[in-house]
Amino acid sequence: MSAFAWSGVTKAFGDQIALAAIDLAVPEGATLGLLGPNGAGKTTALRLLLGFARPSRGTVRLCGLDPQDPAARDGLGYLPERVALPARIPVRRMLELHGQLAGLTGRDLRAEVDTVLEQTGIADRARDVIGELSKGLTQRVGFAQALLGRPRVLLLDEPTSGLDPLGIRDARDWIVAAKERGCTVLVCSHVLSEVEQVCDRIAILSRGRIAAQGEIGELVEAGETLEDAFVRLVRG
Amino acid sequence: MIPSPISQFRILSGEAVRDAARRRIVAGMVVLSLLSLLVVDSCTSCASGPIELNGQEVEASGLLGFTSILLFGMIALWTVALAGVLAADHLTQTLDDGSARLVLARPVSRGVFALSRLAGSLVVSLGTGAVLLGMSAFFLKVRHEYGFGPSAWSAGVAMLGAVTVASLAMIASFWLPRLLTFLLVFGTVAGVAFTNWTALAGAELSPFWSAANQFGPPIGTGIALAASQWTGHELDAQPLVVGARLLLWAVFSPALLAVLFSRREI
Repeated sequence: MSAFAWSGVTKAFGDQIALAAIDLAVPEGATLGLLGPNGAGKTTALRLLLGFARPSRGTVRLCGLDPQDPAARDGLGYLPERVALPARIPVRRMLELHGQLAGLTGRDLRAEVDTVLEQTGIADRARDVIGELSKGLTQRVGFAQALLGRPRVLLLDEPTSGLDPLGIRDARDWIVAAKERGCTVLVCSHVLSEVEQVCDRIAILSRGRIAAQGEIGELVEAGETLEDAFVRLVRG
Repeated sequence: MIPSPISQFRILSGEAVRDAARRRIVAGMVVLSLLSLLVVDSCTSCASGPIELNGQEVEASGLLGFTSILLFGMIALWTVALAGVLAADHLTQTLDDGSARLVLARPVSRGVFALSRLAGSLVVSLGTGAVLLGMSAFFLKVRHEYGFGPSAWSAGVAMLGAVTVASLAMIASFWLPRLLTFLLVFGTVAGVAFTNWTALAGAELSPFWSAANQFGPPIGTGIALAASQWTGHELDAQPLVVGARLLLWAVFSPALLAVLFSRREI
């Protein structure tokens, strides 16, 4: 079964076509890198998957359900490109709130919050107010909330944005760890090297269409880097 | 296991209350409300005795007591408007800063989220209104011996009106900028109340205002009916019908908010 899929999905905003009849299915346990130049439709595809918008045509499925159904988002971890966290509350309080919404309670909730705080290296900042944290630390808090409750599906939009080289390496480790325990991961990113290191499949969006999709080895030709292949497929 | 919608509502509305209480606009509203209380205190604390008005001698306490009733009505309307102003961007703010998307990526329905934001803003505005109306009712009782019954009726009307106006303000904020929504709230509350009172006075209304009076939330009529128990004036309005209309609006408006927010792309 696919963890998530877009079938014949078109999304139009007035006369402007953001996505044109895209077909893409991601099997459970896979790690997909969704690549594309600015304005290619990556964010729109993600919004449809999260149920934030409805397709003009076609169907989107998340864990076999319509993403508009709240049950489809059970076991989902999401990190947006621009992490928007309430500035005036402490880190732990925010994580507890999201943990509760993910269905955690009591001792399990406290233990899970402690685990993600440790995992993302912000245990010593748990009492700090989010608005006082640096961009990199805020991104770590965003990661911590996405990893809460050991999600089955992880949707990451530009996950290393704002992180320093150490943070980027840590983020890669968190994604790999999630992948190793069977989590299906979608990474939307401009950083091709990052996608190459953590993803086993990629899909390239260009002008609202799927320009190419498959395993990285199938798409990169001999003597090419992923960047060369990306440029060839987008421009070609 | 996914928490039940009621648990989610409880968790999110608690957060929405804390969020509403932290807003700068609340400090301004509290200051204005305290000033209103000072005015009520001043208007109800004058000494008794005769004063001359238009060449006629009238009892000061009676005249000032009547002014206090008017002020009480104004405070009830202020509570309704306050609810609308606080609610106006309490939901759209979370869309603008992106925090709504993080919550809605969890197994939370749009309706639960919208209603929890509404509840959060209403707890703060109705709490402020309850203090204002309670203190005013206390002054009226202690200084002019006006009963608590009409105060309770007015407070009930203000509460139902506040739920309606807050929900409609949240809906308007989907399409209108903040300042315009604020102006719309004040304009609508004042307009509807004035229309209700004009109709009660027996004046002719244009077709638009007549429809607003007949089918809109009868906030002004409800407040006037409550105050008429103090003044003894007979008004051409049936309390049961007015109460039913207020209740209907207070149920219909949040339901409409939940439906419209569920259909909205974010």
